[in-house]
Amino acid sequence: MGEPMKQTPVLEGAFVSDPEPALVGSRCRSCETVAFPAGFTCPNPRCAHKDVVATPLSRIGRLASWTTVHFPPPPPFVAPDPFVPITVVEVEFVSEGIQVVGPLAGGSVDQLRMGMAMETVVEPYYSDDSGEVIGWKFRPAGGDAHE
Amino acid sequence: MSDVIVAGVGLHPWGKFPEKSWVEMGAEVALSAVADAGMEWTQVEAMVSGAMQWGGSTGMRSGNTISAALGETGVPIANINNACASGGSLMRAAYAMITSGMHDSVLVIGTDKSPKGYFPSVPVLADEPRPPIDMVRWQVGVPNPAYWAIEMRKRMEAYGSTEEHLAQVKVKNSRHGSLNPYARYRKAFTLEQVLASPMVCDPLRLLEICATSDGAAAVVLVSERKARRLGVSPMVKVAACSLASGEFGDPTIRIPLLAAASDTAATAPLLSESRLAAQMAYEQAGLGPEDMDFVELPDNSSWHELQYLETMGFCDPGEAEKLLDAGETALGGRLPVCPSGGFSSFGEATMAQGVLQIVEVTWQLRGTAGARQVEGARKAITEVYGAQANNSACILTT
Ligand SMILES: [Zn+2]
Repeated sequence: MGEPMKQTPVLEGAFVSDPEPALVGSRCRSCETVAFPAGFTCPNPRCAHKDVVATPLSRIGRLASWTTVHFPPPPPFVAPDPFVPITVVEVEFVSEGIQVVGPLAGGSVDQLRMGMAMETVVEPYYSDDSGEVIGWKFRPAGGDAHE
Repeated sequence: MSDVIVAGVGLHPWGKFPEKSWVEMGAEVALSAVADAGMEWTQVEAMVSGAMQWGGSTGMRSGNTISAALGETGVPIANINNACASGGSLMRAAYAMITSGMHDSVLVIGTDKSPKGYFPSVPVLADEPRPPIDMVRWQVGVPNPAYWAIEMRKRMEAYGSTEEHLAQVKVKNSRHGSLNPYARYRKAFTLEQVLASPMVCDPLRLLEICATSDGAAAVVLVSERKARRLGVSPMVKVAACSLASGEFGDPTIRIPLLAAASDTAATAPLLSESRLAAQMAYEQAGLGPEDMDFVELPDNSSWHELQYLETMGFCDPGEAEKLLDAGETALGGRLPVCPSGGFSSFGEATMAQGVLQIVEVTWQLRGTAGARQVEGARKAITEVYGAQANNSACILTT
């Protein structure tokens, strides 16, 4: 009979769930540089205009690398007890020219292959007394990474 | 512009010293460096000291804290924090004070006690409009070695590097460390022992990642004129002292960030700040990597040692493993890497580790490094690895 759990984004404005889950970065209106999380100005030192707008990134990227973390990180990470190793993946968004790290959503590390297509999802990171903290994760999308 | 000479050095053994404060450790190395220079405490003209974040507000002004303990003399004191690049940043500040003619002697102090395990985040203002990225990355779950492991997996993919290569780096550095009475870890490990150590962030194992330590090191830099007056011999000269920061378009995901230019879109090299710092140092000294007799590089993990051999210009991409396999990076080889035993034998003490490298190189160039002496060493380069793209390299010659 409990009320739905309150959900708090791990970083306000860094992702959306609607209409589909995607990361949100900033794109420079002048030189097109994409940054994640969104910057308040363009990080390109040779760009004179610096005017940026929030922009969703492609939902699908390609797996650039990964590692499994076998010891629990310290707070503010909230580790389950007993600790279950977490896999951190690095995903390249080709048309945006950036790579982003995030947790692997579900599944097994054994299925990971360099270059495979990964899709962005939004899932709970952990929950505590004040509700659920949600953030971006990545999971294999099946097939190769096409734009 | 005066040459800058290392007149004195002091080193505290590294380890865990729950009974001793970082102030005592810092004061001890300061006095030994001053005595090694043949000077009195009251003759030191200026001080630069690592601003130690784990020590709270007095730690952030460690130089003043140590000066108050040893007796205040009213000299200028600058406290600097540049993460792991702090030691090099201190050296550069001291170097500039002497080359500018502002002072004839500057005491450089790095003293640090580190928290156990992964370095945690430092507390921040609660009412900032956005949480700092260093908090977010911990919620995501990315400890420092994960950043290194992500780069190492790419290296394995690109060059066919193996887990044995990672383990062999530790085997070599632990052999060097076993010869150094100041090192925290003095056990020479076998390949099997390293490969049997627990995985931390795969492919990096516990023994392939440096621990967090307590440590302290100090150096007295003087002008050439002052060195002659003190009768410093042999004259170990600071031929270069660089400091560089990252470049836009670098594909390295920097601690504690969560994104970078993708490898295919990158317009700057991996670890751009480290490559730049090394290049600047070579240029300043008028020397190249081929002139170096040995190197103290930042072996924060086995990945670092392989990568920095390339970043610092000692070999082409993918060639570091070959140098390792051929024994060229071991004591007795063509280019001994980390004859001190490196951070893998000492552990990280962020404010002190760059200064530790200067102490080791000075002893090597004086020919007083004992069992780990690099025969005939005349020129060497040091480089650290600083979080968030700060780096520094020093070249010492005799
Ligand atoms: Zn721009």
